[in-house]
Amino acid sequence: MHAEHGSWLTWLYEIRVGGHPLVPDWVPEAVPFAVLVILALSVLVRIGMRRPQRIPRGLQSLVEWVFVALGNAWRAILGDQARRFSPFLSTLFIYILLMNWCGLVPGFKSPTANLNTTVALALIVFGVVQIYGVIENGLLGYAKHFTGDIWWMAPLMLPIHIVGELARPLSLSLRLFGNVNSEDTIVMVLITLGTVLFSRGLGGLMEGAPSVLAPLMIAMALFTGLVQAYIFSVLAAVYLAGVMHEEEHASA
Amino acid sequence: MLYLFGLVLTTGFAVAVAAFAGALGQSRAVAAALEGAARQPEATGNIQRLLIIGLAFIESLTLYVLVIGFLLLGKLPNTADIVKLLR
Repeated sequence: MHAEHGSWLTWLYEIRVGGHPLVPDWVPEAVPFAVLVILALSVLVRIGMRRPQRIPRGLQSLVEWVFVALGNAWRAILGDQARRFSPFLSTLFIYILLMNWCGLVPGFKSPTANLNTTVALALIVFGVVQIYGVIENGLLGYAKHFTGDIWWMAPLMLPIHIVGELARPLSLSLRLFGNVNSEDTIVMVLITLGTVLFSRGLGGLMEGAPSVLAPLMIAMALFTGLVQAYIFSVLAAVYLAGVMHEEEHASA
Repeated sequence: MLYLFGLVLTTGFAVAVAAFAGALGQSRAVAAALEGAARQPEATGNIQRLLIIGLAFIESLTLYVLVIGFLLLGKLPNTADIVKLLR
């Protein structure tokens, strides 16, 4: 739909190690950027928690604040099982958040603007939910949860539940991909608006338009990136809570 | 030619209808959330969380249509080719 453009990591595709390219051509640019996000996160947390103080200051305070805030969010959904899944869910949230915001840096591309990344994330969540469903309920109990309570309605409920279960990774991946891709495309269109549209002679009156519109859209993309990362991880938590046993239901 | 005409018309209208329907649904959700928060201000935190989740669900339906729109848009030829065809 729009012309292919390079990014700050395009030079990685040129490196040859012993005759073979380091990053083959068929690898989408989403992968180097995802690796960059992972490296940046690891380095940041390492530096922040290098010498932990009892009263945190600076980077350690930021890391702890994120950790505690997210832990509270998962506790509201999962109840007392939150400690088990808090690492997975918090990592999911922060990873997706930074990947969403990647595309707003000039010269970077969002890995989540690529359908492959979001499908991979959705499949991971799907796999985790299924595996923990089997671990918690046993294979038979987990299969029984598909059929519902009334046994003679099972032939009707079984396909409905299975399709509903399969629709979850589909909707997770498409939702994240659609939102982030649209935001990035709109930002790109707004930035190129002046050069393309008004080079045909509409002239100096509207040449400043991108410098007003693009920051507004980038601000909105920051917000929607945050919301989409939150939605993804909250839905993962909700699906997990659906297959977990709880003594008392956490009030949503 | 009719094929291309149908394609363009469908793509445009599909996204517009989906946006309209999505906005309608989301407006009802927000109205209900605001009303609930106004009746019980101490539940605002819970309501806000549920509102965001509900809005994302509704919005994802509009997004599926946008993805289909992208797919259809990729099938459209360049204007230069069409002009050459018509000549």
